[in-house]
Order: sequence, then structure tokens, then C-alpha cells
Amino acid sequence: MSTETAKPKLELPFGAMPEDAPEPGSCIRIEHADDGLVRLVLAPPHRKLAVLDLALMRDLDLALDEIENDPTVRGLVITGREPLSFAAGADVKAIEAVETVEQALELVRFGQRTFDRIALLSRHGGGGLVTVAAVGGPVPGGAYELALACDRIVCADDPKTRVGLPEVKLGIYPGWGGTQRLPRRIGIPRALGAILSGRLYRARAAKKLGLVDRLTHPEYLVRVASDIALDRLECPRRERGLWRYLIDLNPLARDFVKRQAEKTVRRQTRGHYPAPLKALELVVRAPGIPLPAGLEEEARGVAPLIAGPVAKSLVGLFGLSEDAKKLGLLPSGEKPARIGRAGVIGGGVMGGAIASLLAEKHVDTRIRDLDAGALAQAVGAHRAQIQKLEKRRSIDKHEAMAAIDRLEATTAGAGFGRCDLVVEAVAERLEVKQAVFGELARELADDAILATNTSSLSVTQIAEGIPHPERVVGMHVINPVRRMPLVEIVRGEATSDEVVARTARLALDLGKTPVVVKDVAGFLVNRLLGPYLDEALRLWEGGADPEAVDRALLDFGMPMGPFELIDEVGLDIAAHAAESLEEAYGVRMQKSTSLAALVEAGELGKKTLRGVFLYEEKKGRPRKTGRNPRLARPVGGPRHDSSLFPKDLVDRCVLAMVNEAARCLAEGVVAGPGVLDLATVFGMGFAPFRGGLWRFATSLGRDELRGRLEELAQSPGVKDRPGGPERFTPAGELELG
Amino acid sequence: MTENSTIVLAAGLRLPQTRAGGACAGEDAGHLGATLARELLARTGVDPAELSEVIVGCVGPPHDQANIGRVIALRAGIPRSVPGFTVARNCASGMQAVTTAATKIRAGEGDTYLCMGVEVMSAYPLHFNRKATAMFARLASARSLFSRLGAMAGFRPSMLAPRITLIEGLTDPTVGMIMGLTAERLVRDFAIERDEADAFALESHERARAARDRGRFERETAPHFPFGKRGPGKVGAAVQHDDGIRDDQSMERLGRLRPYFDKTDGIVTVGNSCGITDGAAGLLVTTEARARDLGLQPLAALRSWAWAGCDPARMGLGPVFASARALDAAGCQLADVGVVEVNEAFAAQVIACRRAFASDEFAQKHLGRSQALGHLSPERTNRNGGAIALGHPVGATGARLLLTAAHELSVSDSELGLATLCIGGGQGGAVVLERVAA
Repeated sequence: MSTETAKPKLELPFGAMPEDAPEPGSCIRIEHADDGLVRLVLAPPHRKLAVLDLALMRDLDLALDEIENDPTVRGLVITGREPLSFAAGADVKAIEAVETVEQALELVRFGQRTFDRIALLSRHGGGGLVTVAAVGGPVPGGAYELALACDRIVCADDPKTRVGLPEVKLGIYPGWGGTQRLPRRIGIPRALGAILSGRLYRARAAKKLGLVDRLTHPEYLVRVASDIALDRLECPRRERGLWRYLIDLNPLARDFVKRQAEKTVRRQTRGHYPAPLKALELVVRAPGIPLPAGLEEEARGVAPLIAGPVAKSLVGLFGLSEDAKKLGLLPSGEKPARIGRAGVIGGGVMGGAIASLLAEKHVDTRIRDLDAGALAQAVGAHRAQIQKLEKRRSIDKHEAMAAIDRLEATTAGAGFGRCDLVVEAVAERLEVKQAVFGELARELADDAILATNTSSLSVTQIAEGIPHPERVVGMHVINPVRRMPLVEIVRGEATSDEVVARTARLALDLGKTPVVVKDVAGFLVNRLLGPYLDEALRLWEGGADPEAVDRALLDFGMPMGPFELIDEVGLDIAAHAAESLEEAYGVRMQKSTSLAALVEAGELGKKTLRGVFLYEEKKGRPRKTGRNPRLARPVGGPRHDSSLFPKDLVDRCVLAMVNEAARCLAEGVVAGPGVLDLATVFGMGFAPFRGGLWRFATSLGRDELRGRLEELAQSPGVKDRPGGPERFTPAGELELG
Repeated sequence: MTENSTIVLAAGLRLPQTRAGGACAGEDAGHLGATLARELLARTGVDPAELSEVIVGCVGPPHDQANIGRVIALRAGIPRSVPGFTVARNCASGMQAVTTAATKIRAGEGDTYLCMGVEVMSAYPLHFNRKATAMFARLASARSLFSRLGAMAGFRPSMLAPRITLIEGLTDPTVGMIMGLTAERLVRDFAIERDEADAFALESHERARAARDRGRFERETAPHFPFGKRGPGKVGAAVQHDDGIRDDQSMERLGRLRPYFDKTDGIVTVGNSCGITDGAAGLLVTTEARARDLGLQPLAALRSWAWAGCDPARMGLGPVFASARALDAAGCQLADVGVVEVNEAFAAQVIACRRAFASDEFAQKHLGRSQALGHLSPERTNRNGGAIALGHPVGATGARLLLTAAHELSVSDSELGLATLCIGGGQGGAVVLERVAA
């Protein structure tokens, strides 16, 4: 126990407690049990799930004062209000509010010192108490760092449990001792794996990796932790033994591990994300230096990241995606009834993928196609996907079996009567879709949702003539379904609020993020992608290399260059989408015709292994091998764009999109700039570290942006081309002087 | 019984029957049954919460799904509150599921039953023999290294000889005869010729082929996307038809086959016997009134049913004994029956039944009646072929016969139907169906 008589009082970081913060001492319940056991229960009155916010950290500090001054205490258990409700980690709002590096440093040090007090009380830190963290449910980031400061971590063995350090996903790294205590606990390689990936592990995996020391049933969590804290129950920690000397303390091995990891990180981040590299360095050094020095380095390294632009962008996106969860609530604030049974009409790639996802996520799903061959493919793909998840141990064997059972495939017309929602993914023709819905409307209950996965037709038009048109809604799941996390919920003129909320809840249940968009051509994502992809084609027509354009945009932070993206979605699909945009918006969306020859030749992109580029099938995946010789520029056209700098290439593609986004905002296609940012990042992979398309545009400054657009409009490659410069004529908010 | 409480087959469906080791080689019975149950419930639009119980007939449930009735119910997404159980009466298990439900409804216990028969003969396992099992038991209980080595030293090559559950399952333990030999017994009793049996088998294939080609089976089957040989994730193509039907079957081909069971003097070949098959069939059993509530036009009403025992060595005559009782209970004659579905375990066995049906002597000696039951007319019997062509997934067949017979009532515009089969162990089962007015 601490022998200090006058403990220096910790200053609360940057300024005072928020005014609505609860009374000092109210966020942590101190329970004295017999035999010198004290339980600290994180139970803030102002939150359902505890968050390590200022108020709670203050109270933790106060509680530690009390324990330090109580000589009868022998064991300490830190736990949550419920076995599966520990804490949701650090307060993201507080991170967002940080403006300067100094503020960040204060915030980090405050947490570090508080947790260090626990470590100093603990046996492993030289104190006299056995400290045990009893955790369960979500235990991310700061919550897990709190647990790391204890002697032992006991964890609830429950499907809801998720343990890990996801900070890199917010553009920072664990700053409350995580980069120091985790490698000391589980060794460098495993700690790197956990911290660099930001993965949240299930209970069994966490135990296997050594993130926690013991699993137990949620009902026994506190009892087991208490027994360990009082030495009534043994809880050995797995020792690293020889490995510690071979790897953690061996400079050669450390260097090797570091170089390998660095290579991977650089490839994945393309230099846009500073946090993983910095974390990597700290973790590798951690076992070789004293803890206080390591903590100091950790704090100094993370503070500029917290105050930096990448964290701001990523934290902003995190907040926006949390906000999107509210779309899944009824206007009354209640959760709508779950979709328990769903239908999918159309067994093509899209329909099959949606059905597969539904079945995986516990929805009984019936998929229909008249073509049994298409169904066989859809069913086979679903089973293969589930088997892959089982092999990866993401799901248990019996769960895999049930997920396979849940997909019913049929060629019969009827059988959708008990569905709460039916999605159609049939041919993109208005009369076909109307016929499908008309037929379903006869069989289904009046309040069953009819969702269309159209990407180019009007939801309002599809709903015309359907009984109860308020239940018709657009549910545009962005392709490829398993990779893109966005679902555009398209509200037709008649669509009811309840239907929107229920559909959004389904999207959330599927692990997707919903955005509600207006029923305009292309909705939001395709409407923005249209000018972006077309501009890339124009650049090529003007003399630019497709490879150079792709590279420039990759470096800008897009997940894939525009040409490769065209190959990915399919040239035919892209052409069809461009056509309907041109039809709806006229000259500014006038489409390039340079891919027509390829489409005609049936060279449609990755699916045919020939598109803009040529591909070779390797390990079941197409690998790029070179440019398609059939791709030919229009003869004799001007070559203004052949010598553009990467920045110009990026501006042409991205600013075309920005200008269209300005129109979308002016028309109210989405609720606001935040939603637009979320949709661009989740729906097209727009550089997350830039925080989304509109945040990026704003960072340029409105006047600069307008100037640059006018400049582009007047540039030789744009001015006189078919369709002219209208795409770059400042629009929406950018238009106003 | 009032009209409203008449017990009916409100709806039914089956999956195409496939040769064992073929299209459904990777199936497990739980999945096959659940697939069918889901499709049947979807097509009828019946809310599964309305079911009183699920009853499944199965002869060889997978060892990890002992009460396969419950497993199928849960895997089909039927609410947990609906109980389920398994019935077994060898080849009649699927029919047993239906008569059990009917008996329960009569007793006032529930009114809506999902009854199924399911069998994946592809998945019948090999077992360790007794000696090997005993050795493993000793090994498992050995604690020290020494005693473990001792247990292992007990290994003998003969322990590698497996017990083939398919063969043992098709053998009557009380008389020590495999089913094929009981058919040979009838061949000798009734002096049946090889040509007769082969001609019967050929007829079965020809009728089945014609029925398939005119789309007759589409009213009772749903396409199936099975777990095949290469695993669940490799779905080659949908199975749309019973694949045991041989389009190129001929007397000449059948004549070339050697007797399989009595290799020297027998006539029963694999060509004039039913095939080893995977399949599932299901029926919704309820009262007529309830069927109307559910918006279903019943396929047929259950007029009567009966089970009967006979000599296990002559189990093939089971249909004669059971039909006699069922017809009596229904108060009608064989001549009144327009549609007969009799299971074709063996061509010779059906021929023997036909003779026994028509024999006054047999009737007097075995049925305690003065006159023969009547003529089992080929025109009215198995009009769409039978198990020789379509296969005999043992647990499923009983339900399949009822389903086919029920549909055939309206196809052939008949009032009464009879579904009957022989049962290993010396039993017969029979159900008399009656058409339900629309």
C-alpha cells in the first residue's frame, strides 16, 4: 500500500467538469465485503453503459483515495453494474473536444496516472492488494486498459463479450497504458496483432491470446473475481517463459518482427494513417524499458494524434455512424418489430448476396428465381460463405448449420405470405418490378414491407398502383454486399416513417449502416460516383494513363482507382447507371462513350477477366495483368490531359463529385453534410482519414474550391469537350458568392 | 363422425427421391427434412405456431439427431413451443407418422400435425464391430501407460471388419433373413417366374417415366438443392426429378442381371427390387374444418387405416393383411377403390400380394373370410410407377404413398384410394383415402 502521506492532487484535464455531471462519488459504488474485500462498481447514474468520462475517472480517483487509506483492504475487484455491462471505453466526445496537443496530453496523463495508481496498489506493481478486473460484454479500449492495470482479468464467457483495443480505428492508439501493459502481458507479436488490427475478440479468443486470464459464466463473474482477489481461488497467469527471452527481449527478433509489421502497415495505410506506425514502435520497445518511461513515451506520442486531423475525421465518422443507429427507431423512440422472415425475389448475384446475408444474420429467408440454375449458384455461394465463417471460427458449427438451414430456395410463385419484408432484385425494368410487387401485395399482409433494391429506378414510380404504397421503400444495398457497409434507404413519396425505421433496423441487424436518401436518380452514392467515374474516362480520352489515374486516386486515399472500380462493378452496369444519370440530369452527366466497344465485345470487367484491364484468375481471385489492348482512345482527339500532375487528376475526379454533392445537399437528398460524409465513406470507400467527401471539401475552403472549380471548367481538357464544362460550374452552396 | 371433424391430408409435398450415394450423398436427414418442412409451410402459408406437433418417421436417424422429429422442427424454424417426436415402423414409418396424428386428433389431442417421413440412406454409417468396441472401451478406461499399452495389444485385424448398418438394418433379426430373401420365400410360395418379375419392374420404369414426362410429379415435388458429394458449398444443380427412373430400361437389360440374394436359384435381382434411396415426404394432417380455416383445399380424407402382423419370413404379404382390415373398417370392397398405391419393395413381392388378394384359399386360410379380397387391377395400381423406379427411402415411403395416392384421386377422378405397404418384421399398413368435395 502507498506510504505517501500527502498525495499530490491530480488536476482534472482542461477545465471543469461539465455542468450536468453527477455528484462527486456517485459514479462508482464502493462495496465493502467481509474479509477485507472491496468491490468498485462502475455505475454512473447518467449513463446506461458506463463510459470512462471525466466524472467517472474523477470518482475512480476518489475511490482509490479511500482504498489507499484503508489498511483493512486485502483484495480489490473492479466490475460493472452487470456482468455483461462493464464500460464502453473512453469518452469519444471528450476526445472529439480536444483542440490542442497540451489538452490531449493532460487527458492522457490523467488516465494513465489513475490506472497507474491501481497498478501500484496491485501485487504485480509492488502493492499489497490482489486486484481483479471482472469484465464482460463490450470491453473496448480504455475499459480494457483499466483491466490491464489489475493483477488478474476475469471475463464473462458470453457471446456478447468483446475485448480489445480498437483505438487505431479512431486514428489514435491506446494511450492509457495499453501499448505498454499489453506487450508485457502477452508478448510483442500478439500485442501487435491486437493493437494494429484494432480487433475486438470474443471471450474464447481473448482467453486463448492471453488478453484475459480466466473465463467464467456471467452469473459467477463477481464471485469468482472476489475469490481470486482474496486468494481463495487460484488463477495462474500463463507465463511466456522462454519466448520472452527469445523474442520480447531479443533485439534481433524484435527488429525482424518490427520490420515485417512495418511493411504490412505501410502497405495498408499508404502513409495516410500515422497511428499504427507509432504504436508499432512503442509496442516493440515496451518490454525492454521501464514502465514509467514507456508510459511517458506513449503519452507524448498519442497526444498529437488525438489533436490531429486523422483522429478528428475518424472520430467524426464514428459519431455519425452511431447517429445512424437512431434511424432504426420509430418516431416514438421505440424499436420497431424485428424482421423475422424475409423474402428475396431474384437469385442473381445481388439477390443471392442479400439473401445470404439475411440468412446469416438470423432472418428466415426465402429466395425465389424461376431459374433453378441461378438458385443453385446462390445457395452454393451462401453455404460456401457460411462454411468459410465456420472454418475461421467466427461462428460455431451449430450456428453454421442453422444459417444454412435458414435459406429456403424455391422456384414456386407463392410462399411469401408470412414474410415481414420482401426485397426484389429482379431486372431493372419498371414494369417487371411493378409486376413483382403487385403479385406480392396480394399474398402478403398489408403491413409487410416491399423493398426494392433498384439502383436506377424511382421508388415512387415503382410504388404507383401498389395497394398500400406506404410500405414500398428503396433498400439499396451497396455492391459488393459483403464488403460495403452502407445501405441507402430510399424514401418514396408515399413511404411511411415506420417503414423507413423498420427497414433501417433491418440494415442495422445485418451489420450495415443505413442512410435515408431522397428518391432522386442514382440516389446519393451512384449519383456521386457517376461524375467521378465518368471524369476518369474523360481523362483517359484526353490522354491520361488509366494506371496513372488509378494510382493518383489510391494515393489520395480511395480504396481502389476509378478504372479498377469500373472493372469491379462491371462495364455494363456502370454504363447502364451512367445512362440513367444522363437521362435524369442532362448535359452535366453526359456520359463518355469510350467503353461502348468493350461492352459490345462482352468484355465487362473482372467477371469476364477482361475490362479496362486484363485479369488472370489466381487462387479464385482476378489478378490484374495489364491493360486491355481493345481499349482505344477516340482517334485524333486533343491530348490536353496527357501531362497532368497527379493532383490535377485527383481534382478532376474528386471535385466533379464535390460539385454534385453540393447540389445534393441543396436539394436535400440527404439530411445534411454529416450523412453525406458517412455515405461517401461507407458507400464508396471515400478516404476515411479525410472524414468524408463534404468534410474534405470544407477543408479546402469554399472560396478556394469555387476558384478551383472555375479553373477546371475553363481548362482546355474540359472546356470544349462533349458535354462541356457544366459539371464544374459551381453549384449549390458553392454557387453563392 | 361429423363432416367437420373428418381427418384430412390438408396439403403435402415431397422432395425428388435420389439414388443413395448420388445427388444427396452429403445430406443429413435433419437438413433434408427441414428443407421440406420449410417449403411445405411456406407454400401452404400455415403459421407454424399453429401446429399441434411435428411427427417424423425415420428408420435410421443420424446418431447425432436421435429424436429427428424435434431436430427437424427446430431446424425448419418452427417455434420452440411446438413439440416434436419421431416414430419408427421400418418401411411404414412415414405412414405411421400420419396415422399417429390421426389417432391423436380423434382422441382430441391437438388438431394440426405436420407429419413427415425422411430417410438419407446415403448417410448410413459403418460401425465398429463388438470386439473393436470392447477394445476401445478398455482403452478409454485404462489410466496408466502400461494398461493403455495392454489394451492396445488386444488389437486384432478382425476388428477392422465393420458392421454395415445398411445391410444389418435391412435384415430381420428374428428370422435372420435379409429382405430380399423374404421375397425369394414368396417366389417359391407363389411360383413366380423371373420374366414376370422383370416385366413388372419394366412396367414400373415405363409408368414412372411417362408420369414424369407429363409433369404428373410436379404437383407433389419441389426442386431441391442438396448437399452433394463434394459438400454443402458445391451445389452442382437443382434436383428436380426422381433420379431412379431408367429411361433405357428393357427386358433384355433386366434379364442380364444376376440374382442378388439367392445367387444360385433365386429370381430377385437389383433390377426388379426397389433402389436404396434418399428422400423426404411431408403431409399436413388436420380436420376438414381446420383445413378450411387455414384456407386449404384438402387433398383427401382419411377414411380408415389399419396395421396388421404376419409371418416375418413372408413380410411381403403385409399389404394383404392390412388392406383387408382397412377395407373392412372403411366398409368398402377392393373393387370400389379407384386408386391403389402399393409399395414395390420387390416386383415378386407385389406379384405375390396380387395373387393373395385374388385367392379364395388365401382368404379362407389367413384372413378368416370366405371370399378373396378381389382383383388388384394393374390399371388402378401404381399408375405412376412405384419404388422400383422411384426408389424407396425407407422412412419416407409411407408418406410418399399417401401423397401420391391423394393426388391421384383427383387426377383419375376416383372416390376412394388405398395406400399400403409391407413392413420388415412381418407387418403391413394400409390407409383408405377418400376424395374431399371442393
